[in-house]
Amino acid sequence: MDFRRKTRARVVRKPQYENLEIKYPHNVALYRTPPIEDIKINEFEDLALERLKVLRILEQANSKNLRFLSDEWKESVNTELNREGLRGYLRLCMGNSVNPSTDSNKYEQELQARRRDYISHFILRLAYCRTEELKRWFLTREMELFKYKFSSMSSTDIKHFLELNKLEYVPLNDSQKDSVKDGLYESTVGQSISKIEMLDFYKVPFTQVLDLVRTRRCYLKNGFAYVNTHDFVSIIAVIQLNEIEHGLQSAQKLIREVEADERIFHLLKSLHTSYTGKDYALNKEGIVSPESLDQLSKKSFPICMRGCHEYLRTNHHLKHGGRMQYGLFLKGIGVTLEDSLRFFREEFTKKIDAEQFTKRYEYNIYHNYGKKGSMISYTPYSCLKIIQENAVQDDCRGCPYKTNDASMLKVKLASYGLSSAHVQEVMGYVSKGHYQLACGKYFQIMHDSPVELGVHHPNQYFEESQNVMGNRSTKKLSNTKQANRNRRGGPENAQVMNADEDDELWNTAETQESTYNSMQAEKSAWNEDLDLTHIDC
Amino acid sequence: MPEEETSTVNTAKYDPNILPDMLPVYYKRLFPHKPFYRWLSYGLSESNIFANREFSYTLHDDIYIRYRCYDTQSELENDICSTCPHKIDIGAVMNTKPKNFRITSTAMQPVQRELVFDIDMDDYNDVRTCCTGATVCLKCWKFMALAARLLDAALREDFGFEHILWVFSGRRGVHGWVCDYDARHLDSRGRSALAEYLQITSNVTINGVVIARVQIGERMHHSVRRALKFIEPLFEEIVLEDQNLFGDVKGVNKLLLMIPDDTARKDLEAYLKKTHDDGVHSRTIWATFVRYANSMRTGTANVWTRKLKNIVEEIQLGILYPRLDINVTKGMNHLLKSPFCIHPGTGKVCVPFNCNAAAKFDPTTVPNIAQLLQEINAFDDKSKCQENGSEDKSRIKDYKKTGMFKGVVVFEEFLRKLESSLKAKAIDVSDQTMEF
Repeated sequence: MDFRRKTRARVVRKPQYENLEIKYPHNVALYRTPPIEDIKINEFEDLALERLKVLRILEQANSKNLRFLSDEWKESVNTELNREGLRGYLRLCMGNSVNPSTDSNKYEQELQARRRDYISHFILRLAYCRTEELKRWFLTREMELFKYKFSSMSSTDIKHFLELNKLEYVPLNDSQKDSVKDGLYESTVGQSISKIEMLDFYKVPFTQVLDLVRTRRCYLKNGFAYVNTHDFVSIIAVIQLNEIEHGLQSAQKLIREVEADERIFHLLKSLHTSYTGKDYALNKEGIVSPESLDQLSKKSFPICMRGCHEYLRTNHHLKHGGRMQYGLFLKGIGVTLEDSLRFFREEFTKKIDAEQFTKRYEYNIYHNYGKKGSMISYTPYSCLKIIQENAVQDDCRGCPYKTNDASMLKVKLASYGLSSAHVQEVMGYVSKGHYQLACGKYFQIMHDSPVELGVHHPNQYFEESQNVMGNRSTKKLSNTKQANRNRRGGPENAQVMNADEDDELWNTAETQESTYNSMQAEKSAWNEDLDLTHIDC
Repeated sequence: MPEEETSTVNTAKYDPNILPDMLPVYYKRLFPHKPFYRWLSYGLSESNIFANREFSYTLHDDIYIRYRCYDTQSELENDICSTCPHKIDIGAVMNTKPKNFRITSTAMQPVQRELVFDIDMDDYNDVRTCCTGATVCLKCWKFMALAARLLDAALREDFGFEHILWVFSGRRGVHGWVCDYDARHLDSRGRSALAEYLQITSNVTINGVVIARVQIGERMHHSVRRALKFIEPLFEEIVLEDQNLFGDVKGVNKLLLMIPDDTARKDLEAYLKKTHDDGVHSRTIWATFVRYANSMRTGTANVWTRKLKNIVEEIQLGILYPRLDINVTKGMNHLLKSPFCIHPGTGKVCVPFNCNAAAKFDPTTVPNIAQLLQEINAFDDKSKCQENGSEDKSRIKDYKKTGMFKGVVVFEEFLRKLESSLKAKAIDVSDQTMEF
């Protein structure tokens, strides 16, 4: 046994076994203190890429529209982890801890996995602390990983975890529970009454379980939420979230110093540019004239934008929500500021006079293009953002699959030329709440294409459509990257936006994730294996 | 102040064109500067809590200035009196002085801000038949009063907030300001979660009509149950009697559209056609609908026993549950019109009102600026006649001579509670830090 350990030690050059156990006492870490050991630059790189693969697998699972932490989701993630040879992470995610006394070899592997997990997390913090968008992508992914790991823990594991991290949560005693039992019965979602009687409940400030509050899944009284053991992960997740967020902030402060080392600088930089995701804020691929919009709207617009266009043509007006949604989309597909002004002016002035238009609406258009006010060129809305919009009378914002009643949607789809069988197919997704899948189906039907498109962004829909019809070429990726780099300039840029956009952006935490997805889709089209090693450092 | 008296004075018509001439007098004599400062300074319980607050003004011709801030009450008062804004908006407390935002090195960020709510009559246009557009009457106000009471209860019971100021927005809407320490310090994520918690309706477009639908689900969440407790007793009065919402073909259609199932809707439509002529009173239509739904629910398993088992409650909620503009609540940096502003369109003062007595509040009798000025003039004349030169009388605060009085009293009551809780908190803190 001793012998075996030594040979392994020579290969991996690991620190001492006991040392590892003290440093990484649990499969699930909160990543509170940065690691201080020295590692080789090769390992630094390996660890970073390895974790990136993991995060990417998680992201892909989402884009397959699997429900987070459902059995199918887990299976898909596990298969991918296995296929990519990420057995260490698989082990951490599966949670079935090894007993050190019976299988010390396996246990040691587990410790190694913990170490890789721990160190790589901190490396990626450095790579992802540069902009708000990157941070948000990283945070979303890390939280998924954390929740996955946490969900696999047994109750003893959880207890051990809480002790290690000095998190003291005491469940309500019987009399405390009894005093709020009506509320618990009424408002604890997902558990039967008899289960609720058995379960332990914890009383925490509502700000600690915002996801449960948002969806009305727990009992709330006087600012406190009553959370059962099954939802306990919500509490810990917020702690983890804050931990990573603060970590990213401090990483941002240190980044200049770290990058003084050129090797690290190149590695981090290339990670960064390779995984930025597609940015639709500036169109780089050609100019679309307003005259062509009538044609394009029929062929290449998703129905949310086609609806906006038709609404504008018929009513010669769009309310603010619709103007934002449609105006930014137009910017993204390549309508220039001047054209955009002209287009909206021509349409609006059929109803109001030119002076009113100038006074009331022009600013808004300049603003969207980043020429007035905060001077930020705003990003077109993603599907997730649009789906969140609530329908408003006399406006056309929002995702039509969601905001339209089924019967009306059917009529609309039929009027767009879908056969009744096709309408049924699309409606099948709609009735289950899969609006993006419905949109992908619509794309497939309209373009007579063999596969459904995974739709994440109206502008991605447009581009894919143009690609399918052969109007645009696919391989502009390198240009895009270059443009991204130039545009972004420095972290200051993104920070300005932070102040008042943060809340909104948080809600649509996946905005940039979805843009990223679309690039992913594009990439995987010509790179099936998703080989990460091609990244030059 | 007795109402009869104000109603006799209430003759002055408001004319937007002379607003600029009236504002200087209003700000000088009537705007409650002192209580206003007492509110926003929060007893100076936190550093820079007043000095870093953003104020912004709308001037004549829609000129808009942002990022004003002041160190003291008199600075604020002087600036308001000299700029005479047509509208004052209150923003967040920033991490730095807002007016310096272009010259400071760090990005300006909000550090605290009241949790605010905005309910607009516009969002009720599809369920009110009494008025349209900008007009508002006592019947419309019932929607607002109910919304404010319901939200007030939710904020107090579920979230434990105590210091909530409800303000009439000058025309037909209502603003709510939650001023508890924890509410002011809620981050964007917290605000957005809380706003979505309170928004139980989701809008659906059907045949060009936007319908607010609610889905209750298996068990009724306590917040939904409470909402029903507020709504059910008033449903008949507001929806069936006052608005007679289902009293014509269009109205009945609205009721039908609220049913989220095609077949069930068609069945009900046929049933209603069979049993009633067009134009029957809402009460009858509703009673028939409830009877129909109940009989379907007790029958063999069908869509009414599953998906539609709470449909009666869901429709009541859909019509009367507060319709929030949640983006106002979500943003920490959202500007909101200040209490005691003059609404430029109506000339009315944005007066705070007592939420518990919201039903008794009458937006149509809220004084406009012209009336107010007339009232102080009348008062001045009278007191001059009675006691020439008596010091005591002229000491009476000007707003106490007018119909604004009640609003200021509500405001001061709110401040009194707020300040005593701030004091209690300060004592708590000093007790805790005491070293022995």
